[in-house]
Amino acid sequence: MALGERPEASGAAVLQVLARRDVLAGLMFIGVALFGLWLSRNYPIGTALRMGTGYVPRLLCWILLGLGAVVLIQGLREAQGARLTSSGGASGWRPVVFVTASLVIFGLSIERLGLVLSILLLVGVGAVAARGLRLLETAAAALVLIVLSWSIFILGLGLTIPVWPEW
Amino acid sequence: MELFDNLVVGFGVALTPANLFFALAGALIGTLIGVLPGIGPIATIAMLLPLTFHLEPTSGLIMLAGIFYGAQYGGSTTAILVNLPGETSSVVTCIDGHQMARQGRAGAALAVAALASFFAGCVATMLIATFAPPLAKIGQSFGAPEYFSLMVLGLIAAVVLAHGSVIKAVAMIILGLLVGLVGTDGNTGGTRFTFGITELTDGIDVATLAIGIFGIGEIITNLSQPQETRALVSQKISRLWPTREDFRRAWRAVLRGTALGSVLGVLPGGGATLSAFAAYALEKRFSKHPEQFGRGAVEGVAGPESANNAGAQTSFIPMLTLGIPGNAVMALMIGALTIHGIQPGPQIMTERPGMFWGMIASMWIGNLMLVIINLPLIGIWVQLLKVPYRFLYLAILLFCGIGVYTVSNSSAAVLLAAFFGVAGYVFTRLQCEPAPMILGFVLGPLMEENLRRAMRISGGDPMIFVQRPISLGLLLAALALCILVALPAIRSKREEAFQEN
Repeated sequence: MALGERPEASGAAVLQVLARRDVLAGLMFIGVALFGLWLSRNYPIGTALRMGTGYVPRLLCWILLGLGAVVLIQGLREAQGARLTSSGGASGWRPVVFVTASLVIFGLSIERLGLVLSILLLVGVGAVAARGLRLLETAAAALVLIVLSWSIFILGLGLTIPVWPEW
Repeated sequence: MELFDNLVVGFGVALTPANLFFALAGALIGTLIGVLPGIGPIATIAMLLPLTFHLEPTSGLIMLAGIFYGAQYGGSTTAILVNLPGETSSVVTCIDGHQMARQGRAGAALAVAALASFFAGCVATMLIATFAPPLAKIGQSFGAPEYFSLMVLGLIAAVVLAHGSVIKAVAMIILGLLVGLVGTDGNTGGTRFTFGITELTDGIDVATLAIGIFGIGEIITNLSQPQETRALVSQKISRLWPTREDFRRAWRAVLRGTALGSVLGVLPGGGATLSAFAAYALEKRFSKHPEQFGRGAVEGVAGPESANNAGAQTSFIPMLTLGIPGNAVMALMIGALTIHGIQPGPQIMTERPGMFWGMIASMWIGNLMLVIINLPLIGIWVQLLKVPYRFLYLAILLFCGIGVYTVSNSSAAVLLAAFFGVAGYVFTRLQCEPAPMILGFVLGPLMEENLRRAMRISGGDPMIFVQRPISLGLLLAALALCILVALPAIRSKREEAFQEN
């Protein structure tokens, strides 16, 4: 670091490099590969003739590690790398959180609360993911979806999903 | 004539009321999701995959196939009328199709697109019927080493022909292979990457992965982007029939597009999108009036539209005859087969001729239905475009949830799909194409099985792959592809092929 350069500026520069698309992608691949190697550390490897449980996983993880390193280096070497542009700050997180949450809630509730209530929950939480939430519209959408999925999945296909909560 | 006999068997199966119904259902769903931007055939087929378990395998396949080629018809409608691609394969149709619409010739553009697709669909169906049997015969002579090398070639070709960074695509394949390893190792009985969760010991279902990555991931991606404005061409579509001049200019483009799409569809990694892009570039080059392209040239609609439908259909050839998926949709088709306990591969044709030929015959019937669905009923589909995405995604989200729950009637699968949804969003943000991952996921267990078998044949000597002539040839072809794509000249051409403006 050159004398007189403020540490905050260099910190921001590091962050900017990190925010490059290929740098992040490379780090993601490397991270997954290392995680896989760590998970498979106790799997028996065996030989090429009698491959153990760990032979193929470890081989793939090493390849992924190498590829991740190449992507990372490519990302670092780009003079003006393509950066992740976050459109409107937190807006990227809103759908991630609420779409995921609505699905998780749906998955956890469908067996206990039944189809009708879990659709209400899914639509209620899921609707927050989009901007411009309108209460009446969402309620109408939930009603339509309940009728639709009841007639397709329960009536039409005869799936054995509980419709109402089991007391 | 053998082909004739086979087609008689096929039409006998395809013309039963139940199968006609499922062909129509597939065509309707395909058109619907084709027209609607924000949901594609991969996500739809993944959602419906668990439901096909409750159907006859033939009916299920007929419906899923209909969705794939039906989406090619529907995608052009949105491209022409709204200047938004309903599907990625109709991106290039926007360029000239929408210009035609703005000049008041929307009807002609829609008709040319539908008729070009229909012609291509008929030709592609005949090609599948003609070339599938000899290819399946070749496939039956393959041993484990040949199969392994074929899959290596398939995966590499898929990467080369896909767009974006080659290295990232290879990394995504490896990622898919790793996800495919989760569960119990069939040979040693040991569990891998299960985190001690009992639901994971049976492995991850392809539908769960695909619904998460493509269904949920796309919803998150779409919602995190600013809302697009849909400028519907408002004037009434009055004249639906193209002029004689349109026909005269379009027929050659249709022939070229069909030929190009048919060839590119068979290649691994090919299919609808690549075919459409390549056909547009080809038409521009062949045209005596290249300056008209981008200003409503009818060839710019006819070429890509015939190519994407031909490519969509001929991509069934390697899946049906060799059991090897060339694109993500075919990977899901393999998943549909395995749900019913049907081993994909060359033996399908001899062991289940009714299913094999019934599916091929249904493609022709489905194409006929699609022309009717798309031309006279165009008004209904246009109305659908007025449904805003904030309603649409709730429905997609719910159907994803129910679909993934019915995979194994377990809440764990829904949670897993939610996880893959976030992963899919991250992949899209980092410009890592998720399609190769699905290919790797489906091919992974098959490759491992064949690798093990080959090693047992050779006594642990990896040289077996280069000592067998067919296997050597396939590996050399894979190597040649790798070298080709590394050459700077080809590299820039490849990037060019996917950028059409």
